[in-house]
Amino acid sequence: MSTLPQLIEEDIQRLDEELHDFLGKSDATTALIIDQGGFLIASVGDCRQFDTTTIAALASGAYLANQTIANLVHEANFNSVYQQGEKFSMFVLCIDEQCMLVVIFKATVSVGAVKYFALPAARSIANQMGIAAQREPGAGLDLSVLNLADPSEVFKRKG
Amino acid sequence: MAIINQATKELQVKIVYYGPAMCGKTTNLVQVHDHVQTAAGNKGKLVSLATSSDRTLFFDFLPIEAMSIKGFKTKFQLYTVPGQVIYNTTRQLVLRGVDGIVFVADSQYEKMSENVESFNNLEENLKTLKLNLADIPYVLQYNKRDLPNSAPVEYMEFLLNNRDLQVPSFSGTAHRCEGVFETLNMITRMLLNRFISQGSPQYA
Repeated sequence: MSTLPQLIEEDIQRLDEELHDFLGKSDATTALIIDQGGFLIASVGDCRQFDTTTIAALASGAYLANQTIANLVHEANFNSVYQQGEKFSMFVLCIDEQCMLVVIFKATVSVGAVKYFALPAARSIANQMGIAAQREPGAGLDLSVLNLADPSEVFKRKG
Repeated sequence: MAIINQATKELQVKIVYYGPAMCGKTTNLVQVHDHVQTAAGNKGKLVSLATSSDRTLFFDFLPIEAMSIKGFKTKFQLYTVPGQVIYNTTRQLVLRGVDGIVFVADSQYEKMSENVESFNNLEENLKTLKLNLADIPYVLQYNKRDLPNSAPVEYMEFLLNNRDLQVPSFSGTAHRCEGVFETLNMITRMLLNRFISQGSPQYA
């Protein structure tokens, strides 16, 4: 199984730029990059009105469930999920083996435009992930800063 | 698997609670949600995708942020799987990107075969993701110790922890929040130690 590359500041900056550019072109409200495990990697746009952490977890699960259903009906060409709403709609598009682009947009916005601009955005994001993957794994990362004197009480119970 | 984001100084870790149907996986998450001490805003909503009779259909999900460790925000995402046998495909999906596992076993004598079956199912499902249980930090929780028909811990250890490398195990009564935090803190400690000793997280 291939791996998600470690992302440094430069990567996140490039991903944010891509997402901003995409939002400007498509008129979408919020764009997220998530991984298949349900983690939120980057988010741009109006994120205050949405619980993006939970959306990332659920969108990942929903995409994977639909992908599995597609496989069960012998559909090999599956790369997106579109959820149509009355206020907001959502479009989830596969970026690469590990990541997905989640787009939340007002129901009045054309889904065609969202899909049209999402494709090149996903390609650019995949390209940046490819650049990140080519770096030496662990480069610039010092996990010793995470050392804990007593990790047994990471989570404490109230009272 | 875990994501370390250097730009935002965040470590994100996924922990999955696994086990047979009705063993108390969701109860563990509910208790963590209700009793965990966090700074304001560091505890997310507990999301349950359940049937009308409160049986987990897809998964439960609880994001919580632990204290900041030398500038790194540590975010833990706790998931449960549906325990019922028919939802195996869903369990495989939830296991994607897993960093650590809490296997919750039901201590009642009559549930022993279900415990063993679920444990074997966990190993099989990990294999479909090209993962090996021996390579993933996991702990065991023997839940429902308050019930009169619960099997001795030694017997459960023999059934579920009888391996070359024994893992930490805890007795629990999840609905009273007994053993819940001990279990969570142990898997957290194992995960953090693993990341530190490896120098870099493994990704799936």
